[in-house]
Amino acid sequence: MAYRKELGVAFAALATALLAGGGASAWTLEEAAKPYAGTEINVVFLDRPGYRAAIKMLPDFEKKTGIKVKYDIVPYENSRERQVLDFTAKGDLDIALVDLVWMGEFAESGWIVPMDTFLKDPKLADPNFDKPDLFPLLLEAFGSWNGVAYGVPFDNYSGLLFYNRCMLDKAGFKEPPKTWTELKDVFGPKLTSGDQQAFALQSRRGETQSADSFMRVLWPFGGSLLDDKFRSNLMSQESQAGLQFRQDLMKYMPQGIVDYDHAEAVNALAQGKVAMITEWSAFYGTLVDPASSKIIDCLEVAPEPAGPAGRKPALGGFSLAVTSQASDKEKAAAWLFIQWVTAKENAKTYVENGGVSGRQSVYKDPQIAAKYKFVKPMVESWQAGVPHFRPRFPEWPEISEVIGEWGTKIMLGTASLQEGSKEIGQRMESVLERAGYYKPGAKLLQ
Amino acid sequence: MRDTTAPAAAVAADRRRQGSLRAVHVIALLVVIAFCIFPFYWMVATSLKEQAVALASPPVWLFEPTLENYTTALGKSGVARSLLNSLVIAVSTTVLALVLGTPAAFAIARFEFPGKKELWFWFITNRMVSPIVLALPFFLLARTLGILDTHLALVLTYITFNLPIVVWICSDHFRSLPKDLDEAARLEGASAWRIFFSICLPLAAPGIAVSAIFSFIFSWNELLYALVLTRNEAKTAPVAATGFMSGYELPWGQIMATGTLIVLPVIIFALIASRQLVRGLTMGAVK
Amino acid sequence: MYSRREKRLALLGFLGPAVLTLLAIGIYPLLFAFWNSLHRFILPRVPREGTPWVGIDNYVAVLTDPSFQQSLGRTFSFLLTVLPIQIVLGLGIALLLHQPGASLLRVLTRLSLVVPMATTYAVVGLIGRLLFNGDFGVVNWFLGLFGIAGVNWLAHPTFAFAAVAAMDVWQWSPFCALVFLAGLTMVPVEVEEAAQLETTRWTAILRHVQLPFLIPGLTAILILRTADILKMFDSVFTMTRGGPGAATELISVYIQRIGFRVFDQGMASAQAVIILVLTIILSRLYIRVIYREIEQ
Repeated sequence: MAYRKELGVAFAALATALLAGGGASAWTLEEAAKPYAGTEINVVFLDRPGYRAAIKMLPDFEKKTGIKVKYDIVPYENSRERQVLDFTAKGDLDIALVDLVWMGEFAESGWIVPMDTFLKDPKLADPNFDKPDLFPLLLEAFGSWNGVAYGVPFDNYSGLLFYNRCMLDKAGFKEPPKTWTELKDVFGPKLTSGDQQAFALQSRRGETQSADSFMRVLWPFGGSLLDDKFRSNLMSQESQAGLQFRQDLMKYMPQGIVDYDHAEAVNALAQGKVAMITEWSAFYGTLVDPASSKIIDCLEVAPEPAGPAGRKPALGGFSLAVTSQASDKEKAAAWLFIQWVTAKENAKTYVENGGVSGRQSVYKDPQIAAKYKFVKPMVESWQAGVPHFRPRFPEWPEISEVIGEWGTKIMLGTASLQEGSKEIGQRMESVLERAGYYKPGAKLLQ
Repeated sequence: MRDTTAPAAAVAADRRRQGSLRAVHVIALLVVIAFCIFPFYWMVATSLKEQAVALASPPVWLFEPTLENYTTALGKSGVARSLLNSLVIAVSTTVLALVLGTPAAFAIARFEFPGKKELWFWFITNRMVSPIVLALPFFLLARTLGILDTHLALVLTYITFNLPIVVWICSDHFRSLPKDLDEAARLEGASAWRIFFSICLPLAAPGIAVSAIFSFIFSWNELLYALVLTRNEAKTAPVAATGFMSGYELPWGQIMATGTLIVLPVIIFALIASRQLVRGLTMGAVK
Repeated sequence: MYSRREKRLALLGFLGPAVLTLLAIGIYPLLFAFWNSLHRFILPRVPREGTPWVGIDNYVAVLTDPSFQQSLGRTFSFLLTVLPIQIVLGLGIALLLHQPGASLLRVLTRLSLVVPMATTYAVVGLIGRLLFNGDFGVVNWFLGLFGIAGVNWLAHPTFAFAAVAAMDVWQWSPFCALVFLAGLTMVPVEVEEAAQLETTRWTAILRHVQLPFLIPGLTAILILRTADILKMFDSVFTMTRGGPGAATELISVYIQRIGFRVFDQGMASAQAVIILVLTIILSRLYIRVIYREIEQ
């Protein structure tokens, strides 16, 4: 009896010790959210898979915390406008959805709060947040500006080569092209005949032209938009080689390629009209959906081809950051949501709901890697890359418009390559001039 | 009325000519209907197709219709609600524009006063301003007044381009009514308001119907202001339809399904008022 | 007929609410836009730079900006392309509807005229993108029926312009038709019948009998369509985004680019003020020239 009693006492003591000692580290979301129950936080969402996945997870978060997340779905075209208007008018958005190319603008304007503010607060920071588990490239490109991390990568994309294995087989290719030159010179002629083309590069005027088409051929060939003094680098041999490559490659693309947006390029592959496209990872879902694709059994995914300067795949994505205009209570609630939706523990649910997580750990799960063909090439693409694949300074939207207009003119031949590159360069430099980048001592961040 | 002594052959020829003229008339009308309806038909057909069918080449004419796009679109948060919002906003705008606009139109039609032409033109000018640069001022104003994302903000904004239409169309109509009516009523001691309410307003019904239809259509379809001035609560149907344009995919079926849902109420409204539609659009054809 | 006092009271009562409402809602934003146009007002930079006064700098910049001139020129070629087609088509349809006989079909036609007008502009652009698609578009399929090879409509500068124009013709010809039809119904029946006894040439009837009744409607069409085309945005933006190159970049697409992509509200406001002045001048011109014609 005495023995039993002793044991009981020992157990009780142990339990008390655990509770007391663990008090600091036994952080739970429920506990942390208690002071913020009933708080309403506002955020702008897009109608894309990553957001639909998050929306599916919302009830769970709201039940655990009592925090209400109000999302407003807007067209991509209006998402920056909506947020900039809200921030300048001190509106009610508590979370900023930051496309990587808006990072400079949002950070420089002081609209978003560095994430360390919250990570240093033991009441708010989840000890399991594990920042190093986020792909460093994504955290750098989507979430940081001038060395300070603001946003947590949320909706992540990498450019990938999607191809129709059956068509490649038929033409005698066992492997997808490893380099751009190979794609053009070896695969191009063999895969283009009659109604069928080897490749489609979405090039419609807009961000599609500038980000998906124009920049995609600059980097792999060693070119770039700007040199290190922020002058145009488009007339350099490398940049010209890349752009010339695109002109040459058009032989193996569908005729109306300057009107191809993502939807058209993906559809061309899905309908078996083209053999290969380089598109965002997020389109995997569309290409394996029987309602939209005829080539499910033939679909394969590989990393983008490399150029003479190496593999420089397109990089795009959004991070979530807490806004400065929110009240302290809303800031805390907003951070708890961002931290939760991007958490390591929830990454698998997020991926299974259709999102693409920025967590390295989730892709080590063999189940995930086996289920989604795009995972392997995507993880490979995210090992290294150019964070400023597109410059992320506030002037990008204006420059993007210039490229959208003149890039399509070059492709159409209404402006020659030289002429068009010069025109883009001049207009870009005048934008940068006005923004003060050429004044002595100006900080050149992109 | 025709010359009855004409030879039978000529009569027959005349009849044949008449017959072929009528055939041409019928065919031409059918062509016009096809011209107006076809793009609309294509929208409805696309809304009933799966994505792969909608984008198939060559275009598919016969297919198994699916209502899936409608269920997805309506199931998405807000589409059903946005239609209701649009209805509330368009009806309120129209009513308000008529309440404010018809008396003004009556005054312009019936009274002589200095600066009348200028006033009329000033009304019209309000329709000519590009919404792109007014969006920001309206946004800041709505924010200061705390009416952002409310029906009221959009109704007030839409008044600025619908009131001119009402004033224009209705003043033409009042002008077309014989002045003797007013004068007779005057002799019986009716006040100006009485004349307006009980005599002229009913007689100008076609003009009022047409300006109502246009005001409704313009408010119903407006996008730019709605994008800037609404979020969740007061989101209108066109905003919801374009919300599907995520920048990456274009879910054609869902967009077209929403597009169809948006057009239907206007068509129903127009059907009800269709008899007035033509009589109302004279734009001052009466001198 | 009214006493002075009564007239004054009536005017106040009838006009007051409308004028006050428009003044209250309409004037402030317009003045604000005008104020913007005289300042450097780049939205994301306002927190750092404020809104310094720049006088007429924005106007000078706009008027010397080749892109602005080009898109304005393009907008006028668009206007000159679609407006004549819409007027001719509209008049033709109106005459068909005015012709007696086939009454049920005429009712159906009149109803179908509402459909294009009622379609949301942004959706019109998207329908256009479907119809004119080079690969699966139904327009190319139709051309194929007549043995004409298809075109990549939206990927070719001239054809893209034509396709956008075609959608505008589809949407607004019915409006012209209804306006003209209303004018035709105002022609007194006796006058028209008398004319028909004198001549069987419909062109002669049109010229001498019906035209005077069509002129006011024509003026209205000119004013409304000019203003609307100078404001036209939604459908072009969803159909081509102004491309390929700048082939379909109408003035509003350009203003939106400056006002909401670059967020240079000062410059965009200056552009819009210039466009507004232009619209007013044109409208006055229409009224003066055309009304003078019929008064002679």
